[in-house]
Order: sequence, then C-alpha cells, then structure tokens
Amino acid sequence: MQQFIATRIVQGIITLIIVSFLAFFLVRLKGDPVDITAPPTFNEDQKQRLRELWGFDKPLAEQYVIFITRAVTGDFGIAYLSKRPAMELVIERLGATWLLAGVASLIGLSVALPLGIISSLNRNSFFDLGSTMLASIGTAMPSFWLGLMMIIFFSVRLRLLPAFGALDPSAIIMPSLTMGVGMAAYLSRLTRSAMLEVLNEDYVRTAYSKGLITRTVVFRHAMKNALIPIMTVFGLQLGWLLGGSVVVESVFSWPGLGRLMIDSIGVRDNTVVQAALLFFSLSFITINIIIDILYAVIDPRIRFD
Amino acid sequence: MTSISRKGILVLALLTVLALLAAPAVAQDMEESEFVFAHGGPIRTLDAPVTWFISTHWLANLLYDCLIWRTVDGSGYVGQAAESWENVDATTWRFNLRPGITFHNGEALDAAAVKWNIDRVRTREDFMVQPQWLDVAEVIVVDDVTVDIKTVAPTPYFEFIVSFNGCELLPPGYIEEVGEEQFARAPVGSGPYVLSEFSESDRYVFTAWDDYWGGRPDIDRVIYQVIPEQSAQVAALLAGQVDMVANVPSAEVPGLEMAEGIVLTSETAAVMQHLYLRVETETGNMDSTYPDYQPATLDANVRHAISAALDRDLLAEVHGSALPRTGRICPHFPEGGGDSFNSAEGVAAAYNPDRARELLAEAGYADGGPTVYLDSPTVGRAGSEKEVAEVVSVMLEEVGFNVELTVLDPSAYGEQISSGGNNRDIMMVSLGCSVPLVPLFYQCNWIQANYNVCNEDFDAVAQAILTEMDPAARLELWGQWWEYWFDTMQTVTLFESQAIIAYSDEFDFTPRKDGWYTFRENLKLAGDDM
Repeated sequence: MQQFIATRIVQGIITLIIVSFLAFFLVRLKGDPVDITAPPTFNEDQKQRLRELWGFDKPLAEQYVIFITRAVTGDFGIAYLSKRPAMELVIERLGATWLLAGVASLIGLSVALPLGIISSLNRNSFFDLGSTMLASIGTAMPSFWLGLMMIIFFSVRLRLLPAFGALDPSAIIMPSLTMGVGMAAYLSRLTRSAMLEVLNEDYVRTAYSKGLITRTVVFRHAMKNALIPIMTVFGLQLGWLLGGSVVVESVFSWPGLGRLMIDSIGVRDNTVVQAALLFFSLSFITINIIIDILYAVIDPRIRFD
Repeated sequence: MTSISRKGILVLALLTVLALLAAPAVAQDMEESEFVFAHGGPIRTLDAPVTWFISTHWLANLLYDCLIWRTVDGSGYVGQAAESWENVDATTWRFNLRPGITFHNGEALDAAAVKWNIDRVRTREDFMVQPQWLDVAEVIVVDDVTVDIKTVAPTPYFEFIVSFNGCELLPPGYIEEVGEEQFARAPVGSGPYVLSEFSESDRYVFTAWDDYWGGRPDIDRVIYQVIPEQSAQVAALLAGQVDMVANVPSAEVPGLEMAEGIVLTSETAAVMQHLYLRVETETGNMDSTYPDYQPATLDANVRHAISAALDRDLLAEVHGSALPRTGRICPHFPEGGGDSFNSAEGVAAAYNPDRARELLAEAGYADGGPTVYLDSPTVGRAGSEKEVAEVVSVMLEEVGFNVELTVLDPSAYGEQISSGGNNRDIMMVSLGCSVPLVPLFYQCNWIQANYNVCNEDFDAVAQAILTEMDPAARLELWGQWWEYWFDTMQTVTLFESQAIIAYSDEFDFTPRKDGWYTFRENLKLAGDDM
C-alpha cells in the first residue's frame, strides 16, 4: 500500500512538472503579455524596457528554468497588476473555491445516490422514468442559465438569498446548487447503471435468498461493489467542479480561484495564471490519489501490490 | 409515534437552519448609510499610479486626493490637495497646498510629499501611467505648502495631465516604512474615504473619514462590489442588494423602467466608436503580414466614400445607447466643434450613398469593388462592436464595396491592434474623446504603427495645439486640425457611446462627463443638498 501511495505521488509530481511546462508555454502562446498589459500610450521602447523589467527579454528556456526553480519554493512572482505575490492571491481565493466545490459535491452526492439506488430497485417504474427525465434536464441545463434563473427567483422575486458574493453563509446556496445539479444528474445515472449490474450478481440473489431485507442487501452487499465506478467518476467530477467553477463564480460573483484566473488570463497576468493552473492540477491529482486509496478501504479485495 | 416525532423534530430543525441561512443577506445598521456600486471588474492594485486601468482609478479617487481634479460637468478643475494653482510662466505651474492636511495615518501631505509622488510616477518605468508624466521636467519644493512643477515644454493641457491617472498622492513615509508590497495590501491615502476592508478584485469597502479637509462625506460607506455579469448586476439592483449599475444593457431597460425605486439616466461614456482606415503602409508590420498588399483605403476618395456610405443614425440605433457623431472630440468640450459636427443635421448630411458611389467611380471602381477588410472585436469599450460592424459591412456593400469582415474575441483583437500593423484596411476602434488625449492619438511618435494613421501635417498641427498656451490661438489651431480631419478622413467616427445608469432612488446622483464612476460631490442621500 505504501509503495502504491509513493508511486502515485511520484506520478503526481511528474504530472505537475508536465502541467507546469504546459502552463508556462501555453500562456505565452497567447502572445506578448506586455502588448496587452501596457497602455496605448507606451511606445515600443517603453514596452521593451517593461519586458526587460519583467524578464520577458530572456530566452524562453531560461525563463522556464527561473519559473520552475522559484515555483518549487512557492514563489510564482509578483502579480503584474495587483503588485502582490501571485501565490498569496491564489491562496486567498482557494478556500472559497474548495468550499463551493465541496458543498456542490455534497449536494450532488446526496441527490444522486438515493435517486440512482431507488431507480435501480424500481427499474422502468414512474420513479425511474421521472428521475431519468430529471437527469436529462440537469445534464442539459447550462449552469449559466440556471444560475441567472435562480438569482431572478430567489433574490429578485422572493428576496430570500443574496444575489452575489460570499458575505453571508446563505450566499453559498445558489452557486452550490447550480453546480451540484449537473453532478447529481450525471452521478444518478451512473449509480443506477452500476447498481443494476451488481443487483444481477449471484451474491445479491444469495443474500436475498437468505431472507435479508432489501435495505441490508443494498447497503451491505450491493452498494459496496457499485461504489467503485461511482467514486472514480466522483473524483473526476470534483476536479471538474474545482476547475469548471469559473462560470458559476462569475454569475454569482463568488470570490474563487476560477474568477481570479479568468481575470488574470484577460490581462495576461502570467504569474497568477501559472500559479492558479498548478493549484488546480495539484488539487485534481490529490483528489484522485485519495480516491485510489479509498478503493482499498471500500473493497478489501483490491490490492495494490 | 416516537419515531415520527423524532423525524418531525429533525425536519423542523432543518427548516430552522435553512430559514436562518436564508435570512436577510447582510445585516445593516440602519443608522449608517451605505452605497453599493456594481463594478464589472477586474480591479487592479490600489497603489494607483501603477495601473493604467481607469475603472481602478474610480476607486482610487475615494481613497486619495490629487492636486486638482476634473469637475463633474467636465468644464474645468477643482482643487483637492491644492487649494489654488496658477500658471506662473509657460513651463511652470505653481500649486498652493491646503495647510495642515494629512494622510489617513497622520502623515503630513506637504510639498515634499507631492514632489516624492510626482517624481515616483514620472521615473518608474514599470508604472503604466509613466508616459503621460514625461512632460514633467522637475518638481521644486518652494516651501511646505507650495510646489512648482516645471514642464519640458509649454503644456496648455497640464491641468488635465495632473488630474488624470497617476495623480493620486500616496504617503511617502508609510510606503518607505512598509514597502510597496505591504502598501498594496493596506493602502493609505488622504481622500474622503478610508479603505476599511477589501478582497482582491472582489469587494472594496470604503468608510467615510471624519477628518477629511472637505468635511466628512455624506454617505458613510461606499462599496465597490465586483459582479462580472451584467445580467447579474441588474438582478442584484432589482433585489435591492446593490444601489447602482452602470452600462446597463439596453435589453434590460424595459424591466428596470417598470421596477419601483429605480432611477434610469444616461450620460456620455466619453468613448467614441470609429473606423480607423489605413492611410499608409510604411509604419507597422503590415508588409510582413500581408506582403505587397495595397489597401484600397490609401485612396482618399475611397475613405470619403466609406464615410458617406454610413447611416450613423442607424448605427447608433444598432448600438442601443449612442448618439451619432462625425467629430472626434466629446461635444461638451469647446474644442469639440459643437453642433457643426454633431448636430442631427450635420450627421444627416454626412450620409450620402449616391455621393459614395460617385467617389468610388472617381477612384476607379465604377464597376464594383473595391474589396476591403474590416476587423472588429466581438465587444469592446463602446459595446455592440460586432453588431455594428455587421451593419457597417451591409452599408458599405450597398454602395459597391466588397467587405471581408473578421470578428475576433476581444483579447485576440487587442493583440492584433497592439502587436502592430496587422490591419489591412479598416478596423473598429473605440477610444476616449477627451480633448487633451485626442491630438496625442494622431502623433507619429505614438502608436500609429498599430493604427496606421500617421500623417506628418496632422502631427505638426497636433504638436502645435499641445504647446500653444494662448487659448484663442489654440482654438484657431483646432480649426486647422479639423480641416485635416475631414480632408484626410483617416478616421471615420460613427457615434458617441452613452452609458445607461440605473440606481436606487434613495440617492441623488449626477453622472460625470468623463465616464468615471467615482463618488464624491456627485452622490448624496436623496433629499440632502447636492
């Protein structure tokens, strides 16, 4: 097990190095940051001096070495536009993004699992058809549109919830619901199909024939086996929630990392974009390592050696 | 029964928690007045001179004083840190500071502090506003409350420069003590408001400062809340959670008109929408991008035909909130040409499709053509650029042009403009229309390499305007400038954008003519004297 964890961590580090390489070079493909950042009153000489000040006059490979050497110590440089360390800005926003993704995941799971299980137990029933329809709507509905509709209903009409920001605990309700709906829709379908597959297994029939009640069969026997694919997809979805929260963060003005990254991309603030990208990747890799470890906890038959 | 009761209690507890969560979002102290402005973001550092972005300077103007400041109606200047000022000679401006004024931390705002600030902004090459301060040759401390600023040449519009981006006065002692990085985390100024809390590019809370030289501001707290989506801004206004939204999309106006307690007004956004036409191929890197390409717009007849083909009234209508224009300067400036360029008759006279066809025939295109390339962003400073560009294409094709329209994402378009000379014939550009800026835009040592509008004669007149201290002589030079403007037709103006502003009727508000959303003397609680 320890060897497995060590291997996964090494793989994670390799992935991070690749991401750092991509983060560094891809942001430069978008063009010269000085051209975008400098005002129109800057002439070419002034722009060149700015390039020298920010180190863009050096060869790309040298710039990358400087970047990666500093990045391992957590120094991503000073954000061009806020004049604060990029790392500080990212950490400031990270909590809000994790909180939002966490609550959205909880909502997603708490809706998806019951829906999927009940649907699988009552295949082709009205409930099953109804949940299929809801899942289709949930998957097809753009989060941007859903968010705005929620604001209009809960904030404008009912005046119940704040339309923006993260000032009040209730402010998380709408953005997390918006994000959780898509996840719930997808996971509920996956739970249903995973459960259907397991429910046809011999050991489930055996459990029933022993006279166990449905609840015991489902939660003690079937669910454990169905959880593996669900957890795999949940891990990926959680990663998607961390990275894909950009739209929802913009609609609800949620002060998260996604919005910081979009703002920074718009003004070519490479220091912040690189730091944010690496943090997204780090979060994603960490989540997936945890999920891998949880496989063994859920199903002791899984051995990593 | 017991089980049901437990479930009931659980449900009740859950409902109570939800009700508490859904309680009014922000508890407000009824005794304190608060004004929340929905800012589209992003907001940059409040070490203001570092950044060039105007929407960040809106906030800076609450936190800092400048020496002088532009009046709300755009007609002149008022003193902030300077009580009075005078033009001692052609290159010397004397500013008399208000005696005894301090920064929020108690540090004196004296002549030495002013010198430190102006020297900082004019010498720091990493400051985006530095180029506009290069006219300053020297700052001399005469005594504690008197400072002379010498310019490298006569600078008639110096008051504009000294009240524009980078004019904010910061406390030298505090910055030297804590360093610039820490200052960016906890900025201190001398303006009417103290920055009491902020989260970067998200929410900035300004609290009225009791000891402000002009008296404590009327509104206790001014908050800039970043809400990137315009629809979400409007929803927040309708929900009563923000008090003002600027640049309301015209589609949202009917809904706001029906809402109670909302006032709608409009004011110039101080931005004009233009077509920049390529008049030469020497500057920029067009030759390497499009080797041997000869733009049809090099011919003055073609340029005039483009102008005559455009129905500016219709284009302003397409934009949704704009006034058709043919001039280049916001009409509220005396140099702007007033009605002659901007009246309904003047604009209507400029639209003459038959004349456009004649001009094309004179240019050798009687049988159709030429093909012109029109580049536009999807959206820019003026708004609705893509839609306007599409209608421009149709209008040009109506008189015989073949138009190749390319619409790019704003950042890609920005790249194209700024990286130099990639435009072939026509590009959509939205730029400010304030008097002192406009001649700069046409100087050959500016960014003509990108916009390709360099014209030596035009440059000479612009340079003369920018150094002529006598107002009457300067107006005469403006007359020459306008002649060049209409003769060369290197820029075709379409309209002046108007910002639609929606705000709570709990406030009295006068929009500024410079398009800035900064709140000092122009915002009061309803019923108080403005």
